[in-house]
Amino acid sequence: MYMYLPIALTSVNYLLVVGLGLAVGLLSGLFGVGGGFLMTPLLMMIGIPPTIAAATDANQIVAASASGTFAHWRLGNVDYKMGLYLLIGGFLGGAVGVHIIKILRATGGADFLIKITYVVMLGVVGTFMFFESLHALRKQKAAAAKGEGKAHSKPTQKNGGLLGWLPMQTFFEKSGVTHSALVPLGLGVFVGVLAAIMGVGGGFLMVPVMIYMLRMPMHVVVGTSLFQIMFTCTEVTFLQAYSNHTVDFLLAILLLVGSVFGAQIGTVLGRKLHGDQLKILLAVIVLAVTVKIVLELILEPSLLLAYKGGH
Amino acid sequence: MFTKFAIKGLAILYTALISCFLFSGGTAWALSTEVTPRNIPINLMYHGAQVSIKGENGANDDLIIKISSEPADAHMKYKGKAAGLFWMKMGDISFEHVPTVYLLYSSRNLDSLLQENERITEGIGFESIRAGAKMETSAADMDPDRWIAEFIKFKKAEKLYGIEEGTITKINETHDGKYQLDIKWPYQAAPGTYTIEVLAVRDGNVVDRAETSLTVARTGIVEKLSNLAFNHAAVYGIISIVVAMAAGFAVGALFKKGGGAH
Repeated sequence: MYMYLPIALTSVNYLLVVGLGLAVGLLSGLFGVGGGFLMTPLLMMIGIPPTIAAATDANQIVAASASGTFAHWRLGNVDYKMGLYLLIGGFLGGAVGVHIIKILRATGGADFLIKITYVVMLGVVGTFMFFESLHALRKQKAAAAKGEGKAHSKPTQKNGGLLGWLPMQTFFEKSGVTHSALVPLGLGVFVGVLAAIMGVGGGFLMVPVMIYMLRMPMHVVVGTSLFQIMFTCTEVTFLQAYSNHTVDFLLAILLLVGSVFGAQIGTVLGRKLHGDQLKILLAVIVLAVTVKIVLELILEPSLLLAYKGGH
Repeated sequence: MFTKFAIKGLAILYTALISCFLFSGGTAWALSTEVTPRNIPINLMYHGAQVSIKGENGANDDLIIKISSEPADAHMKYKGKAAGLFWMKMGDISFEHVPTVYLLYSSRNLDSLLQENERITEGIGFESIRAGAKMETSAADMDPDRWIAEFIKFKKAEKLYGIEEGTITKINETHDGKYQLDIKWPYQAAPGTYTIEVLAVRDGNVVDRAETSLTVARTGIVEKLSNLAFNHAAVYGIISIVVAMAAGFAVGALFKKGGGAH
């Protein structure tokens, strides 16, 4: 039942770890998030050091997102063009974010900024998504009651939106939207900066950005987000393994055994749920994590010391 | 005549030496120790190990067994309230000259065995760690006693520090006593060599001591992966990525075959 992890230097119940991978992989397939914001704290709870938990999680997200991307690619849910722009922006933003953290670490304000960014971003995203999807679900119910036919979430916009005046207007066929190429690039930079500051892949930020700012249909959002996360986490895994020696390969294997199956099950489940139901579920999970972090910040911890590294 | 005196003198000297040896408080020959196993291999299924420490305790004294590592420096972060509201990591704190592992067992309550000053001299009990440790912090006005106590609490939570009194079994046989201590070695302890020191205590004094060591080392795939991660980090990183991607795509293909996804 137990397996020793050579880099984390601890022994874990492998069935428990596979189970964690399955649960988080399920969310990954359902919502298009990497699940780093959930998995890293869960791994820390079972005794994995923070730096190793974060780096190894990136490694297992490569597997989960590859599995999810493959499933969504078959379903025609990946907008490669949009994904590429977001990815380029994300890489640039990530580099800027890492630099900001370096400066803040030198001046001593990094931990405070990280925690506050976490709470604010998760809180804002979760609350907004929750009320927006609740509103949409109520509207559909009302419409169904009036017999106005079956509501569906697929957006029909062509949309230049507020940023229609920008150059490089491009039609994204798969998503059915028109934007300036600078919009996904800029949003990619924005999410990349925040993701680097928070030390996560940024899926839970990228998904709302795609839904609400890029006006992409929910199912294309999930596939495209996974496609982008796969590349981001590949880069993070290599850098963490090469520079910090914090990737535990055995732990990643245990997690990915669960997560690759979980991602497939999540994709199938996602097809059966309505877009707004998916959004409200993700919002509830994001808000639950926010409450947990707020409680951790307010309540006195039982141990007042921690090893260096990690958040 | 001279030879006769010489023989007699040698006989007296020999008897005196034997008497000293047998009836002195030291009974240096009487205390021994051995640990089984001497080497603990960390393999893939490692989850700590059963360790047995036993030996001769001829004078049937009370015993204290200390298992510890060489003192080292522990570099950590301390938590405090930022802006008077949020608990978070505030700055650096280092504890110098502290063991990474410190496990203590005794045949009776430590207070009843040795006075506090004697315990500190012998490195027995958390007081001795407090007395020997030094603290360095990035902030001023931090009470060393409070934070060294926090450090001990942290290590106890990790199961790397602990004191268990009354756990050594003394076995009185017809001629000489024996002792035994069975413990579960914590898997949290890092690979390394640990010293096992056995002290015999009588009338508030340490009258004898014996020492052995225990080695914990990685073996097999655990050792190979560790070497790869630290000595060939780029290869290790690429393997980690390739395996993850291959697993992801393979399961994706498997589901397609099974018709799980449409």
